[in-house]
Amino acid sequence: MPPSLSPKPAAIHLEPPDHGSSPWHDAWSRLRKNHLAVSGGIILVALTLLCVFGPLFSQSYQDQSLDLGATAPGAAHWLGTDTLGRDLFARLLYGGRISLMVGLVATVVALTIGVAYGAVAGFLGGKTDRVMMRIVDIMYALPFTIFVILLMVFMKEPAEKLDAWLRNTVHLEGLQGFGNMLLLFAAIGAVEWLTMSRIVRGQVLSIKRMEFIEAARSLGFGRRRIIFRHILPNILGPIIVYSTLTVPAVMLLEAFLSFLGLGVQPPMSSWGVLIKDGAEKMEEFWWLLVFPGGVFSLTLFSLNFLGDGLRDALDVRTAKD
Amino acid sequence: MRRRATGPISFRATRLALATALLASLAGCLRHESVVDQGNRTGVLHRGLGHDLADLDPHLATQASDYDVLSALLEGLVAEDPVDLHPVPGVAERWEISADRTTYTFFLRASARWSNGDPVTAQDFIASWRRVLTPALGADNANLLYVIQGAEAFHKGLGDFQQVGLAAPDARTLRVTLEHPTPYFLPMLNHTAWFPVHLPTVQKYGSATERGNPWAQPGRFVGNGPFVLEKWRRSQEIVVTKSPTYWDAARVRLAGVTFHTIDSVDAEERAFRAGQLHLTASLPPGKIAAYRQASPSVLRIDPLLATYFYRLNVRRPLLNDVRIRRALALAVDRDAIVGKILRGGQLAARAFTPPGTAGYASAASLPTDFAQARALLADAGYPGGRGLPPFELTFNSSETHRVIAEAVQEMWRRELGVETRLANQELKSTLEARRAGNFSILRSVWNADYVDPSSFLDIWRTDSGNNYTGWSNPAYDSLLFQAARTVDAAERNALFQKAEALLLDEAPMIPIYHYTHVYLCQPSVRGWHPTLLDHHPYRDVWLQE
Repeated sequence: MPPSLSPKPAAIHLEPPDHGSSPWHDAWSRLRKNHLAVSGGIILVALTLLCVFGPLFSQSYQDQSLDLGATAPGAAHWLGTDTLGRDLFARLLYGGRISLMVGLVATVVALTIGVAYGAVAGFLGGKTDRVMMRIVDIMYALPFTIFVILLMVFMKEPAEKLDAWLRNTVHLEGLQGFGNMLLLFAAIGAVEWLTMSRIVRGQVLSIKRMEFIEAARSLGFGRRRIIFRHILPNILGPIIVYSTLTVPAVMLLEAFLSFLGLGVQPPMSSWGVLIKDGAEKMEEFWWLLVFPGGVFSLTLFSLNFLGDGLRDALDVRTAKD
Repeated sequence: MRRRATGPISFRATRLALATALLASLAGCLRHESVVDQGNRTGVLHRGLGHDLADLDPHLATQASDYDVLSALLEGLVAEDPVDLHPVPGVAERWEISADRTTYTFFLRASARWSNGDPVTAQDFIASWRRVLTPALGADNANLLYVIQGAEAFHKGLGDFQQVGLAAPDARTLRVTLEHPTPYFLPMLNHTAWFPVHLPTVQKYGSATERGNPWAQPGRFVGNGPFVLEKWRRSQEIVVTKSPTYWDAARVRLAGVTFHTIDSVDAEERAFRAGQLHLTASLPPGKIAAYRQASPSVLRIDPLLATYFYRLNVRRPLLNDVRIRRALALAVDRDAIVGKILRGGQLAARAFTPPGTAGYASAASLPTDFAQARALLADAGYPGGRGLPPFELTFNSSETHRVIAEAVQEMWRRELGVETRLANQELKSTLEARRAGNFSILRSVWNADYVDPSSFLDIWRTDSGNNYTGWSNPAYDSLLFQAARTVDAAERNALFQKAEALLLDEAPMIPIYHYTHVYLCQPSVRGWHPTLLDHHPYRDVWLQE
């Protein structure tokens, strides 16, 4: 049927314009409805605050009382003391500082390198992609322990120089061992980004053929803008999930490295170190394992719930409701 | 998905294997025979060794645990009585001592055999000792042989081996001429440095005087002891079985010994509880009280002539300052370490030689005096530890060493303001660092080789292969030189006391405690007597329910 040529225009019904909502705003409102994720987030924030500010009020983590020895939880020492008579609560808080910092910083390092590397490789494709991914393969093939020991041998001197400089030039005795911590971040960051870059590359490969990327391209946007504004927001889900999985892995790695002599050294502690010690002594002094283990598990649970929630919330492909 | 053609067959095979394994494990459960029960039945002793050995070459051995294995594989001229360790005939069936007590003539028994069937001859001993004294080998314990006339000069490249006081008139007679009368000469012959090696075997795998010659391995090792080396799985176990060629094989009641290398003291204790071990190397201090209460019959606390101490590398800046060394030594609260951490009847060490070593006790002593330590440190230019870089304290991985190191670290921090970094290393790495002088402060232990103060004090001589600290004091050396040549016991002890006072003044080491050997022992182990040197001749040990 031919269209009628009636002069009367169709009445245009003007709706009040929808308030534009940014993807972040949507994500936030979705996340808020996920109770598990919210409680995970709250617990994480609380733990972080406790670890950052708690030691200001708690007892010393290194003061020993050999007379006291290992005592069960009580009024004087809420979580008991270890075999050298050190307050476990204080050690747990101090250890938390280290563990959370390592977990966070190393993950951010891995995230930054891995996402940038993977996105570039995936987007550019071709020969560049092949070369970049072979480099990743080579780094994968390097045994981690050997890599760490090499790093330890070659970087020991610079780390000690940094310590000496901190002590003598800027007089920040409190930052002793900072060089070692940097080494730790470097070691962990250097291996953890590999998997991340592979995941990101795969996602980018699948997304870059989609129409909206074609559209962006035909609008004349530059590569940088396409990668960061159009591709990355679409692969946030897997990135977030993988990051939340990286944090606990990194914390465990830290415990292992500290045992090798890299990273946290006595009298400092971290959750990984406390758990390792506690496991050896659990038959006599249960509290040495139960509390560090409990706090560590709580953190991992919270991270996983939060990660799950974030993935659901940040998925731009979910329909707006 | 299609199953591959071989699928069902391999599945069936797997099922069969699983069923067999299940049955086998069920049978195991029913029989419920632990390693220890099995060992009791078959006569195999399962002994915890702590760390794995670096090498089985007796002339390069430096660890007490080396002796535990090597004494099963090799035998010296004399052996030890299982109760009080007095010298009893070994390869030598008898010996004669000259009136001036400087010439020993050993008569070797005709039945002494190497495990390959060759007879053990006087030449074997001379060639072995020559090997120890050859400078190229770099044997740490070479200076034990300095009691032989001319041995020191030969070892230092100043003399010829012809001038060394060793002679073999025939294959079964060995004459040893000593530099000076040495009361502890016969007991000392039980040290691994005096053990013979089968030179032709050593030379088959490289030069006899080359470190790292791979002859001391299963399938290659030729020994003359009650057992032969069967298996050595690195970081797991060393298996030795009864030797058919040993001259006294009829007396050996054990069918074999399996040494289990378990680094972690906690893991070792668990293994004992699970019936995997007859004997542990040690016991975590925290568990002593529980054992004392629940099962005192397996807990053994034996006296042991050994000192736990920290070596200070005096070649390093700061540690070359005697005031700093003294300050560190004075600021260690030994009583707290012994009484609160170890709790195994150990004695706080105020000197290097344990008191009562063959009637000797140090006159000088090293007190715990924080005020004096702070004053010394201030005098050295570091009041309150300000400006002092952290010291590195190296120890081999062990829960007990770490706890003590953490306690000392805290004492130095609290009392002196001195920071310490703890470096935890595998035993092999600490031994290498020790040889190379690549340490600042090193956890060490000295086990007496024989019951005499010289066994302790000799290691601090300039030319001792066990000094490692770079500390050298001519007055000290000359006092020990005199003591060695002094026959009168009181006079000799006075010289030792002077030397020890000098040693404690200069503090190239920090004594921490004198050992007791705390370990676990199944009641089925018989003939295992408490001895001062922790030597337990295997030929007199047996298992009985």
